[in-house]
Amino acid sequence: MNREQWERLKTLFVGALDQPAETRDEWVARHAAGDEMLAREAAALLLAHETAQGFLDTPPTIDPSDFATLEEPARGARVGSYEIEYEIGRGGMGIVYCARDVRLGRRVALKALPPIHDTDAGRRERLRREARAAATISHPAVATVYALEEIDGRLFIASEFIEGHTLRSEIEDGPIEPARALSIAIDIARALCAAHDAGIVHRDLKPENVLITSGGAVKVVDFGIAHVDSSRTRLTRPGDAVGTPAYMAPEQLIGGESDARVDIYALGVVLTEMIRGHHPLAPVRVAAPAPARASDIARRCIETDPNDRYQTARELLEALERELRNPRDAVATPPPDGAATGLSRWWWEFHQAVVSAVYAVMVWPTWMARNVIGGPRGNAVFVAVLAAAIVAVTLRLHLWFTSRFYPAELGWARTRAARWVRGSDALFATALVIAGGLVGDAHPALAVLEIAVGIAAASAFALVEPATTRAAFGPSDRL
Amino acid sequence: MTPDPISLMPLVYDELRRIAAGYIRRERPGQTLQATALVNEAFVRLAAEKARPFANRTHFVAIAALSMRQILVQRARARKAAKRGGAPQRVTLDEGLMAGEAPSIDVLALDEALTRLADLDPEMARIVELRYFGGLTVEETAEAVGSSPATVKRHWAMARAWLKRAMDLESEEAADRRP
Repeated sequence: MNREQWERLKTLFVGALDQPAETRDEWVARHAAGDEMLAREAAALLLAHETAQGFLDTPPTIDPSDFATLEEPARGARVGSYEIEYEIGRGGMGIVYCARDVRLGRRVALKALPPIHDTDAGRRERLRREARAAATISHPAVATVYALEEIDGRLFIASEFIEGHTLRSEIEDGPIEPARALSIAIDIARALCAAHDAGIVHRDLKPENVLITSGGAVKVVDFGIAHVDSSRTRLTRPGDAVGTPAYMAPEQLIGGESDARVDIYALGVVLTEMIRGHHPLAPVRVAAPAPARASDIARRCIETDPNDRYQTARELLEALERELRNPRDAVATPPPDGAATGLSRWWWEFHQAVVSAVYAVMVWPTWMARNVIGGPRGNAVFVAVLAAAIVAVTLRLHLWFTSRFYPAELGWARTRAARWVRGSDALFATALVIAGGLVGDAHPALAVLEIAVGIAAASAFALVEPATTRAAFGPSDRL
Repeated sequence: MTPDPISLMPLVYDELRRIAAGYIRRERPGQTLQATALVNEAFVRLAAEKARPFANRTHFVAIAALSMRQILVQRARARKAAKRGGAPQRVTLDEGLMAGEAPSIDVLALDEALTRLADLDPEMARIVELRYFGGLTVEETAEAVGSSPATVKRHWAMARAWLKRAMDLESEEAADRRP
């Protein structure tokens, strides 16, 4: 029955109710305007209305102990043949427990809906679908589904327990080394190939849904909103956008027709995040030198028009594999005129070495300044200078060493270190100037030294370093 | 501004659970309560709190009714799962009559029918939820859905007739399927 028919039925039924009981059928026949089906439906409803007196008049009763069945399983609780060990995590779509299957004596990940949503038919169907979708795919990079269980009315998916961490936590530590990023992307692409071959589109690929086991293997999880291509019935109505907006392809965001190419888009975003350390659409604070061709691959994945992307996961997989085998021109910022390998790179290295030496040496006068100032303020400035010096010296020597011996890695090493180097520079210069100010007349020579070096450090990192960096890495480099 | 009902659900749900736990401690086990009485008690308790997040009683019941529906369905599903493989699973009319109560209603069947009604007419389904699971009067329901008591009364009558018919048809079909 469509909306319009329903509204007409409503008008007819409500109108008939106002008539005396014995004339209602006749009234309906007269007002149905020749619509046989509508008249029959209204007559049947009126008949049901007669027998429905008292129906739903008494409120439902509930046994208070029934609430016990709704408790979330606690540690050590038995759910069917599973013994809950601990909660791994939870989100809107479900709670995941680590549990032991006592029949088989193995660990499993047990996913359930939050009890409060466990009666929601739509969510239950989605969980079933997730289990079916993931169970269809048999691939080492896809977490294996063992069983879909209904225990005391609650639904559970038991699947392979994966010990490890998420790709998200790895990205949070800074950009991932290019070769490793590529090999992770390759594993994800293989999982996508297997899924797409089985007719399943993941639709919610993101770093949180990629697990890396302690052995280094990659596992794609959470086919919670996976869409089975062959199925005509969709749980999401057209126009509903389901997924994580930051990883959703434009066509998915607007809720239009979408296909397997949305996963290719998402993998492009994930790859960019791995090599640059941030989302491709995030405001860029530092222009990270990324491996040129890996960036090109990622860029093609996130084309707005699906037709401009890689068309299949396999095509993308091949491009990634080619790149891993043959990492020519690995760094995106090649020296503009070959200068980087020559004198200007030497100057940049020299700058790093000199700055490190100055930082290290300045710890000593600041110790004296601490003794002159005394008290907690003296300790505070000394600790600030010491901390800044340790961080800055370590990182700069690391960069210097990388530049000398592993020049190919320098790009991502600089990207990772940039924020810390700048922070420690600023802290160092500020702390020195403050120390000088606090020493003051008590020891004028020391005060002047502290302030002078502080200002020199500030101008070095504001003026000199950008200049040597530009000379060494090209005019567009702002690290 | 009234907060989003879904975000308040866990709060209501916890309160209902706390009250139920109190009953279990105090009373003999096996006794049943009217779901709507439980909803009322939860309101009285939460209303006494200083920072109560509810605009008024109607607003509260609107949320609690949804929780109550979910709890009843959950319980019915658990019972059904426990009985699986045994005798006919649907609760029969006789069981209710023998216990000297009003004919008991198959909550799962009602839930299914109500979900289908919501597809046709969300407001009508909402009226049933508020009145049956929340225990609101016609006037209170009218306030909650923002229409007149007369309209609510008519729509309630139609919803009830539609649900009765849908559930009767369904149980006939189920009987036909049984060998």
